[in-house]
Amino acid sequence: MDHYKFRVIKDRLVQFLVYLALFSALVPLFSILYEVIARGFSTINIEFFIRPTPTVGETGGGVANAIQGTLITIGLASLIGVPIGLMSGIFLSEYGESNLSAAVRFLHDVLNGVPSIVIGVFAYTLITRSIGFSVTAAAFALAVIMIPIVTRTTEEALKLVPMSVREAAIALGIPRWKTTIIVVLSSAKKAIVTGILLSIARIAGESAPVLVSMGFWRWWFAGLNRPVANLALNVFIFAMSPFENWVVLAWGSALVLILLVLGISIAARVLIRERY
Amino acid sequence: MSRIIDKDLKELSVTLYRMGELAHRAVLEALIGCIEGKEAHEEVREIADTLVAMADHVEDKAFELIARFQPVASDLRTIKSYMKIAYDFARFGRYALDISSINKQIGGLRGCEEWINSYVKRMSEKTLEMVRSSIESLKSHNTQIAEKISEREKEVDKMYFEFIDELIKCGATIKCAVSSVLIVRYLERIADHAAYICESIIYIATGRKEVLR
Amino acid sequence: MTVKFDIQNLNAWFGSKHVLKNINMKIEENAVTAIIGPSGCGKTTFIRCLNRMHEITPGARVSGKVIFNGVNIYDNGVDPVMVRRKIGMVFQKPNPFPMMSVYDNVAIGLKLNGVRDKKILDAAVRRSLELANLWDEVKDDLKKSGTSLSGGQQQRLCIARALAVEPEVLLMDEPCSALDPIATAKIETLIRELAKNYTIVIVTHNMQQAARVSDYTAFLYLGELIEYGATKQIFENPKHELTEKYLTGKFG
Repeated sequence: MDHYKFRVIKDRLVQFLVYLALFSALVPLFSILYEVIARGFSTINIEFFIRPTPTVGETGGGVANAIQGTLITIGLASLIGVPIGLMSGIFLSEYGESNLSAAVRFLHDVLNGVPSIVIGVFAYTLITRSIGFSVTAAAFALAVIMIPIVTRTTEEALKLVPMSVREAAIALGIPRWKTTIIVVLSSAKKAIVTGILLSIARIAGESAPVLVSMGFWRWWFAGLNRPVANLALNVFIFAMSPFENWVVLAWGSALVLILLVLGISIAARVLIRERY
Repeated sequence: MSRIIDKDLKELSVTLYRMGELAHRAVLEALIGCIEGKEAHEEVREIADTLVAMADHVEDKAFELIARFQPVASDLRTIKSYMKIAYDFARFGRYALDISSINKQIGGLRGCEEWINSYVKRMSEKTLEMVRSSIESLKSHNTQIAEKISEREKEVDKMYFEFIDELIKCGATIKCAVSSVLIVRYLERIADHAAYICESIIYIATGRKEVLR
Repeated sequence: MTVKFDIQNLNAWFGSKHVLKNINMKIEENAVTAIIGPSGCGKTTFIRCLNRMHEITPGARVSGKVIFNGVNIYDNGVDPVMVRRKIGMVFQKPNPFPMMSVYDNVAIGLKLNGVRDKKILDAAVRRSLELANLWDEVKDDLKKSGTSLSGGQQQRLCIARALAVEPEVLLMDEPCSALDPIATAKIETLIRELAKNYTIVIVTHNMQQAARVSDYTAFLYLGELIEYGATKQIFENPKHELTEKYLTGKFG
């Protein structure tokens, strides 16, 4: 009987420790959310959403241009990053195991681990040096960050499609490259889309590479070879400024950013659930 | 390798051997009764009835095996042939019964001409030998024994026709004529069925449908 | 006999393993030919050689000739994709394309071969599903997922899918082994109906099925063709001792 009681105590103890750890993990999340919502909520008004960044000394103002800029940046980045990631994922999954695919996979893993600031510098060197601080450079940097993520999720989703599907497609007398279409259609398209959405959520919040390749911008979109405003950068620049209304805008930007990322993540979750 | 169906096939063949022995005895008793004037009808009837019952049993059992095992190739040919052979043995019983009825009804060959008696005796011996042959080839599934029967069947056929000719030429009392013709007729049929049995044996072993008559 | 396949000295390897040894046989048009034999005797490899599917496995090799409609499908200039369009295949485990509707499953073969007209596709889908005896069961909801059907229905869907591209031959690799007896019976009936217009080669490890469904039976053992003839003759009176042993279950 003693042994049993001892085991029960051990069980309870471990349970307690586990819950404690869970709590510790959740506390920062909730405290961040609370802070941002509490401080940022007050800034939310119509002006917030339609006025651009105020100049020095101007009162009020909003983050409308930052929202526009962020959307343009991640849109552009997706345009570059998603197709490349998709094709890489399809290649790794469908075109056989070879030394090439092993190398590609390895390189993707390495790329995944490269610090985003380094990627930002890379974009600076490659693009900014030639056409100047621009949204193109930022989009390029973000695309490079996106690619390994999209590749990985696409490859995983396609790998889940059983071999028998490929055989059936080949047996129908369809050319090799077109059978890949069938495999892609047969896979959880939603898993692929989810992967894309999550990578977008990731890059929406990147600030360092954007800063290095594009820099700060206070105005509306002015061309692909000029920078645009960016929510993440707003948080960075405004938070440390001496102007009261800028600090407030920083909190507001942070809130919008969190809501954006949260929104994308929830959309991804909902998509997965629809599968069942 | 022993299969589930083997046990049932063995049972069937054992039943068939017993039928063969019984059929042979029936024909023998019936003929002895006629030629030597002994009373054997009741005994022969009993054997004939048993043979019919056994043939029914073989047919039922064969159908059961077909339904349960969907036999093919040699198994299928065996089962089909066993059904036919069982029927042939039952026919022996029936003919034996017919022969002993003649004995009972009109006294067989008692008091008939010597030449008729000895002719019938010779034909009976030949026919009984064919019956024994057919049983032997069944037991051993020996196609050579089976093939040899063709010769003897033709002999018995020849004897049958010759007897009819002789009888018409020489004449005899009505009773003896009727008895002997009937007996000889049944002997010819028994010989036919013995040949059928041998044809079935060849079919089981080789899948060929040979005509031995 | 109108010969659909004239198979000459067919050999097949998986790497160094010699799986099919000098197969010579002629397969008749618009008839059902069954390939039987113990596991591992090369039956599946054999039919996969008939539509050039064997070679997609890495390390697989074929030699010999398979003459189909007057042409050796293994000749240098022959496009395997065209071969597979004329010679369809149905697999052991029903494998409708997942995440695609019944309609799309049947239509995709045509769509990817360039057919765009919706009317033509609709008609083709309906025809194929009718041919596969599945139309009545799915006509009310063609949009439902292919994988939501029962096993037997899925297999008939796969048959419809194969028929949609209008092949001349249907190769079937143990199509009923994953199905219950009723579904099996439905497919066997279907096979007999299809045989009027298609050449069918079916691999089966179920002898009774071969006996029920086929006009000709080939017995393969350890990669060699032991006996080949009319089903009636093979099952009543096989010529070869090995065939007799296999059919009566006397293999040790």
